[in-house]
Amino acid sequence: MSYPVKLQAIVDLFQSLPDVAKRENLVLYSEATKSLEPKSGETFDLEDIRKDEECTDTVGVYLKVNEQDEVLFRMTLGPEVQTLTRAMSAILCRGLQGSTPQAVLDLESDFIPKIVGAELVRQRSQTTYYVLTRMKSACKVYLNRKRLKV
Amino acid sequence: MTTYAQPEILVDIEWLEKHLDDPSIRVIESNEDVLLYDTGHIRNAVHIDWRSDLQDDLIRDYISPEKFAALCSRNGITPETTCVFYGDKSNWWAAYALWAFRLFGHTKVKLVNGGRDRWKASGKTFTKDKPHFPATNYPIPSKRYDNDIRAFYLDTLAHSKAAKPLIDVRSPGEFKGDVTHMPEYPQEGVLRGGHVPGANSVPWKTAVNEDGTFKSVEELKAIYEQGCGLKADQDTIVYCRIGERSSHTWFVLTYLLGHKNVKNYDGSWTEWGNMVRSPIERSS
Repeated sequence: MSYPVKLQAIVDLFQSLPDVAKRENLVLYSEATKSLEPKSGETFDLEDIRKDEECTDTVGVYLKVNEQDEVLFRMTLGPEVQTLTRAMSAILCRGLQGSTPQAVLDLESDFIPKIVGAELVRQRSQTTYYVLTRMKSACKVYLNRKRLKV
Repeated sequence: MTTYAQPEILVDIEWLEKHLDDPSIRVIESNEDVLLYDTGHIRNAVHIDWRSDLQDDLIRDYISPEKFAALCSRNGITPETTCVFYGDKSNWWAAYALWAFRLFGHTKVKLVNGGRDRWKASGKTFTKDKPHFPATNYPIPSKRYDNDIRAFYLDTLAHSKAAKPLIDVRSPGEFKGDVTHMPEYPQEGVLRGGHVPGANSVPWKTAVNEDGTFKSVEELKAIYEQGCGLKADQDTIVYCRIGERSSHTWFVLTYLLGHKNVKNYDGSWTEWGNMVRSPIERSS
């Protein structure tokens, strides 16, 4: 299974790392979440900010699709969102940039354990999957709206 | 104002700050957030993970006495070391780790009142530097004290049938059977909602103040003894979903109120709710 090019590069990197370095890199990604936030003046095709039952805090997903059908995601994460979920948000924003909305929708989630590692995928860490679900949901709404316009 | 039954078991962040270099103690962080320790922790604190360090996933049980001895040895802990636990989520996992240490007979334990959030809220600093302590040779515990502080499914079933005190510390919605997961958490594989027949609903959170510190002994007595009818010399079983929130209540009843025979049913609702022919109750 191949993933979008940028995501594949991140997967390859993590798979090459020992567990300790994996953790360090995940923490580094988690600390980069401020840079995921919408920049002043940016506009989006879709903004979905909500606090779901299955997540500890509010997560905002902002989707922009350019004329080349390439996606750009921005995200806002409440302070209670766990470290692993923050890291995965940063990885996905970077890894999916430039993919098409359909490619995001078609993306299988089996890359997540490859990045996170078996030790950290466990009960109480399922929210690592939640971020991808939210991004897919945004792409689905975007594509449905686009079809209705045609 | 009366004090807790064992006030020495609870320390505040000021005490902790003064003892960070005390060789007779080992500060231990245990969290729900698996990477939180890596993002920064209290200086000289080691990390003990509730799953990878304390559990044996292959048999859904705790680690063997041999592995416990190895865990303590590599963290520079001896039987004489006072282990001071703190963590996120108002100390759910810190209380769980403390309880697990007690399972192996390590009785020199303390809990930091208010946990990690209290330390953070007071403006005290965290570090990413991981401490390294000389390894010790912790003796292998001769046994695990499961019979003393842990309840299994059949114990809990007998307890329920005998109408002995059972405390369900989950959220009211989980107790009633309206939901099968706690608020703000994903479903964790439970087929049925409800509670163990005869259980009283006392959510863990009723024991703490807004800042995660424990309520006064008078307030705790009002909740658990006057409100719920628990008595210090009765056998009591506490449970939640996987045993962490109930460890928190076990700590309250055992150390703060001095109840003698409190057991934590760590199989909790993820076992009881799924067990074939296991009776449940629902309430409106």
